[in-house]
Amino acid sequence: MLQVGHLYPELLNLYGDRGNIITFVQRCRWRNIPVSVRAINLGEPVNFKDYDFVLLGGGSDREQNLIAADLLKHRDEFAAAIEDGLVVLAICGGYQLLGKYYLTLDHENIPGLDILDFYTRAGDKRLVGNVAVEVNMGGKKFSIAGFENHSGQTYLGNIQPLGRILAGGGNNGVDGLEGARYKNVFCSYLHGPLLPKNARLTDQLITLALARRGIKPELMPLDDRFENSACQVMLDKLRVSKG
Amino acid sequence: MNLRMSAAIVAGRVASWLSKRQGHKGSSLPGMVALKIYSGTLRDLAAQVRKKIIVVSGTNGKTTTSNMIFGILRDAGYQNIANLEGANMVSGVTTSFVKRAGLSGKIDCDYAVLEVDEATMPIVLKELTPGVVVLTNFFRDQLDRYWELDKVIGVIRKSLKNNDRNTTLILNADDPLVAQFEKNAGLPVVFYGLSGSERSASTSTQTREAQYCPFCGSPLGYEFYHYGQLGRYRCSGCDFARPVARVEAGEPRIRDGVANCRLYFDQQEAELTMQVQGLYNLYNAMAAFAVGLHFGVDVPLMLESLRKYRPVLGRLERFSYQGRSAFLSLVKNPTGFNEGLADLRSMKGTKSLFFAINDNDADGRDISWLWDVDFEVLNKDHNDLAGFICSGSRGEEIALRLKYAGIPMDRIVVCKDMERGIRSVLDSRSDMVYLFSTYTALWPVHKILNSLVDKEGAYAAGGPFIS
Repeated sequence: MLQVGHLYPELLNLYGDRGNIITFVQRCRWRNIPVSVRAINLGEPVNFKDYDFVLLGGGSDREQNLIAADLLKHRDEFAAAIEDGLVVLAICGGYQLLGKYYLTLDHENIPGLDILDFYTRAGDKRLVGNVAVEVNMGGKKFSIAGFENHSGQTYLGNIQPLGRILAGGGNNGVDGLEGARYKNVFCSYLHGPLLPKNARLTDQLITLALARRGIKPELMPLDDRFENSACQVMLDKLRVSKG
Repeated sequence: MNLRMSAAIVAGRVASWLSKRQGHKGSSLPGMVALKIYSGTLRDLAAQVRKKIIVVSGTNGKTTTSNMIFGILRDAGYQNIANLEGANMVSGVTTSFVKRAGLSGKIDCDYAVLEVDEATMPIVLKELTPGVVVLTNFFRDQLDRYWELDKVIGVIRKSLKNNDRNTTLILNADDPLVAQFEKNAGLPVVFYGLSGSERSASTSTQTREAQYCPFCGSPLGYEFYHYGQLGRYRCSGCDFARPVARVEAGEPRIRDGVANCRLYFDQQEAELTMQVQGLYNLYNAMAAFAVGLHFGVDVPLMLESLRKYRPVLGRLERFSYQGRSAFLSLVKNPTGFNEGLADLRSMKGTKSLFFAINDNDADGRDISWLWDVDFEVLNKDHNDLAGFICSGSRGEEIALRLKYAGIPMDRIVVCKDMERGIRSVLDSRSDMVYLFSTYTALWPVHKILNSLVDKEGAYAAGGPFIS
């Protein structure tokens, strides 16, 4: 049984991020991999050891401040679980939260969870639009697509990016990088939501979660015509090849 | 006589004529051209409105509410200006005045009913002083353009605060995000709302916007929900609660294209009947009724006007094809889409569905909101649902969404040729057809439908559209 944790679904629910949960769960169920989802709400106890996959989505500024305070209480357990190989998908605001700090336009320094080596500073221009990214996973390069909408600009320290920007802004609109990767943590600015039309990425998350449980299955192939064509429409629009 | 104003109006008229000759609606261009030539066009024309200007804003129901208000005021014998086709940016608002202005820059009207885009409120309120501002509801909508809902609400709040004039707010009491404007704006308020009914739920599975009190941040408790975050709420930390409404609807019954309810207001009550579907249309009617009540319009006249009201383009507009019904619905955001699906499920019989999803600027380029729509409800009655045809520039994405909602893949077809898709959904053997379309696909879909079907109960020329 894979246990999925959806962090603060009532607060971090901008831009259809729950589609990531729906996708992870369905792709498990279609392969008869037992899976269950638990919502983790504000103020509730959370034991990260119980989970195989955790989604941390994005929210509005107000909601983000509420959850930052709550999550800070669980910071050390969260960091330990990540070291232990917990599979995490952190999107947009959730991504920023895992870093060292967020510097506002008024030079206010809002501390992050400081689990991963990057920081974010408020930009004067919002990065909004469709994005294509080339990622390298399991020794294979392929393209993923999504939609970004953020004013924070993230700069990576000693940490891998999720991928290389083919079209769009990405982490900061400057260095051509998008997202971050550390152990089994995947951070990205991409909504869309990210997982549905990027099936290979989703399957990678499922594989990692199973592997951490000591199960190393060849995932049963699924009929991904809809996934691939939804992604391809966007790559074509951005004039990027699927690779 | 202001020469620049005259020049602006002439140029606007020419633009309108050229635009129409090319087959466009011309609902925004004339205003845009006029404002370029004389930036005071809107201000000067709006200042000539004899009685009051009514501004309608919020996420859903703007166009329908404006049309209902317009109908009431027209039936009450007034001369009115309105932008009833939903061109709700500053250029569209200006166009509605330019079209009615004489070349000397004079207009002859009692009321102006203006639907105004949320983000455009500050610009419009700088140019004119509304006697009434109606706020319908706030849901997530086109976030790539508006960013987050909090920011949209903040922008409107600020624009109303700067408004030190004599404006009355007509507010939806059931939406905490709207009701908060009573304290925020410090203006006189008329509330409208819906009582609990058999349809209200004690929990909400839908995406809700407001979980926490806008004033103190404590969780909001709900006695019941109507849809989204609309319902009877009370803050657990302060005295913010669903206010008492001056206009309250009770016992709503919505069946087979007819909506009824009891209306309670000013120690009176009345029966309201309308030829519309959807609970949200009761909210739109209550808002229009509250506006009329505020202006002292005769109550029986308002009820009759609302009874005669017919849905405008794409608001569950009904068509007939070979003896069966087809419903066309504009979808812009999860809440509106969820209500459309609830309506579909309330109808008995087998159905075929058509979706036209575009991602142009006016639709919102970010279509991730499709994943916030509860398509999973269709799972429960998929035996009644014969087929799903997906079209539009992002037809593949809605197909994918339906697949993940649990609809069998073999019932989902992507058909990029819109006309072929619509023909095939109409030719399905289902008892009825539902068509859902985003904004920029609505006109093409409507045009194709009109060429294939006989429209039922349509207004004759000179009906709700004034262009």
